[in-house]
Amino acid sequence: MNKFLSLTKILVLDFFSKYTQQLNVKNKYLTILVMFLPALLIFPAAQMVLELYNTFLTLGFPELTITYMYIANTILMIFASIPFIISVFFYSKDLQLIATLPVKEATIVFSKLASVYIYLLIISCFFFGTSVVLYSTVGGLKLSSLNVGIIALIISPLLPMIISAIIILPFMSVIGSGKRRNLMVVVGNMLLLVAIIVMQMLSSRIQLRPEELNTILLQEDGLLMMVGRRFPPSIWLTKMIQGSIFHGFLFIGLNVVLVLILKACAKILYSKALMKFNQEGAPVQGGKIYYKSRNKGLQMIKRHIKIIVSNPIFLINTVLTIFLPILMFIIILFTGEFQAELFKSTALEPYHVYIFSAIITTPAIIGSLSSTAITREGKTFWETKVLPVSDRDNIKYRIYTTLIIQLVASLILGIMTLLTIPVNVQTVLIAAVFCITSTLFFSNIDIVINIEKPLLNWSTPTAAVKNNLNILLALLLRLIVGVFGYGLYKLIDHWEANIVILIFSGLFIMLYFISIWIVYGIYKDKFIDIVP
Amino acid sequence: MLTLKNASKTYGNNKKAVDQLNLEIEKGEIIGFIGPNGAGKTTTIRMITGIIAPTEGTIEINGKDIAKQPVEAKKNFTFVPDHPTIFDAIKGIDYLNFIADMHEVTIQQRKERIEKYTKAFQIYDALPQTINSYSHGMKQKLLISGALLPNPNLFILDEPMVGLDPHSAKILKDVMREHCEKGGTVFFSSHVLEVVENLCDRVAIIHRGKLIACDTAENIKKNSSATLEEIFLEMTKDE
Repeated sequence: MNKFLSLTKILVLDFFSKYTQQLNVKNKYLTILVMFLPALLIFPAAQMVLELYNTFLTLGFPELTITYMYIANTILMIFASIPFIISVFFYSKDLQLIATLPVKEATIVFSKLASVYIYLLIISCFFFGTSVVLYSTVGGLKLSSLNVGIIALIISPLLPMIISAIIILPFMSVIGSGKRRNLMVVVGNMLLLVAIIVMQMLSSRIQLRPEELNTILLQEDGLLMMVGRRFPPSIWLTKMIQGSIFHGFLFIGLNVVLVLILKACAKILYSKALMKFNQEGAPVQGGKIYYKSRNKGLQMIKRHIKIIVSNPIFLINTVLTIFLPILMFIIILFTGEFQAELFKSTALEPYHVYIFSAIITTPAIIGSLSSTAITREGKTFWETKVLPVSDRDNIKYRIYTTLIIQLVASLILGIMTLLTIPVNVQTVLIAAVFCITSTLFFSNIDIVINIEKPLLNWSTPTAAVKNNLNILLALLLRLIVGVFGYGLYKLIDHWEANIVILIFSGLFIMLYFISIWIVYGIYKDKFIDIVP
Repeated sequence: MLTLKNASKTYGNNKKAVDQLNLEIEKGEIIGFIGPNGAGKTTTIRMITGIIAPTEGTIEINGKDIAKQPVEAKKNFTFVPDHPTIFDAIKGIDYLNFIADMHEVTIQQRKERIEKYTKAFQIYDALPQTINSYSHGMKQKLLISGALLPNPNLFILDEPMVGLDPHSAKILKDVMREHCEKGGTVFFSSHVLEVVENLCDRVAIIHRGKLIACDTAENIKKNSSATLEEIFLEMTKDE
């Protein structure tokens, strides 16, 4: 087999093994079926796209669904690819082997990007893919649009992936060469993400004078030109799917040019970024020798927090999944996108408790930290197993770590929201009860997923905290809870909001007690059986 | 100090890694545990330390069953694995304080022992540095120092000589002997038969999951002029 294909096959197999390992399903067809369970998440994505499609259909421009979803998808993929590329290129354990292989630099760079491409393609299927399918099938099958749309879908991850790689690889070599490089990597990348969000927000703001707006709208495809004017590939893509060969040539040509640019830069990226970063090594830190006694529990929690903080990928991932709402909030405040006056309207007042509850509970809903609490330890998991700490405590301190991180995130988010949205003390207290009860439940039940599928032999940190089945199962769990919650809400939506939130809090308390029984009653024995 | 009664471990493919192992180790003994690759040494040590549970049989450490009273049993031993895979983003001194807290070692004792062992292994000056800057051998020495810190009743080591320079290997052998003289017990696996022959009170030989001998080196050799290595090769020869 060709060297590139052979290396790519190994790297991609390693990537997918994190989804199939620990499935405990012997039948291979059943394994495939289990793997596709998270694909159920496509339903809410399809629902969202359908809403957008109907809106644009009433305006007479259904193709704008594709334009909008492609733009949103590209931004999402840039966000997703940055930590992934850092993990695969800079914190992967396979570089020592790969660097010694007799293959060209471009082969290594492209092989490593293959797993990033697959990951982005899956994301793309959820959002952009559904928009292509809906546009091509709703109201009659448009076969040519569907075929071209599928080609566009396959190409769609290339642009964000290559742009991210070209930015990230040299960026990392610069920020990763100084002292405290892990801290620099995290801070540097957070700043980069903030810069991307700010640029996106500033560029998407419509600052046209009314007469200019009218001129654009009067043109053929005026609305399309307006929507995609800051990102022309979205216009080319839309017109390509509508049948324009010229725009298809432009869109595919752009992606080919990007691939060629990456190929031309591959040698420099490999030697000046990838190898340079990995040769720098961690700087030796000075300090004092101390002798200090601490409580066992505090030591265990400190250890679990340090595991997250010490690994830039774990930290970036935690920050992104838990603190991203905070980050967005701050940016929105500073860019002036957010109109605080809106929330002061009396019409919205009855919904304040829903809004406030939803905002402060985001860390528990988005961040499924417990589902990777054991996995994050990797091969060092044996350390706590031989210590004189009971298995119950060993599980408990992992859950406490999640609770601490998520509740601190909720607190920060709550304070920031309070500075903007006028809510009374009663609302704050009720929302806090909801946030605490739901956080207790999710942080407890998520660890069941990790005990069931511990996955300790990961080769890249991203495999530990992102691209593995546990994360998908945690999302699926939230989806199921969400569907049941929505059904219940529909039954009682005529009740006062405070009462509804308290009822949900009560349900979460019940679920929490059930989860305690599941974790310590059933899964403690499975925890004991985890083999490092 | 350590009692294994019919301890067995069967893995998912019905392969018996350890088969009906019986072993009794007295206080103050040094026992060398030897066997060919894949004989079941590491599996046995993992069962003793509670990392994996035996499929059958019982394992008691100082009278405490590792399966039924894990915390009480674990208070009696410390463990050094065959590969120094530890959480390395912390400083060496953080690691030692962590181990000391887990085993409830007083401040005075930890100060004395940390200084004693880390100075002996020549890693004292490296303690304020993060472990990821340590070499393989330094990590191994840190693990050994951490395992000696609680002054355990039973000191368990899996291939402890791997990665150690001759100077450190000599110190480790001295420390193991000293530990036994003070009433402690040492149980270690090794492929270095010379070390086992010279250091151990008794030698346990495992082959294909079964204990085929457990006696003094002299008795195993049956007072012949053959070395332990020759006897070992003969005993573990595949038919």
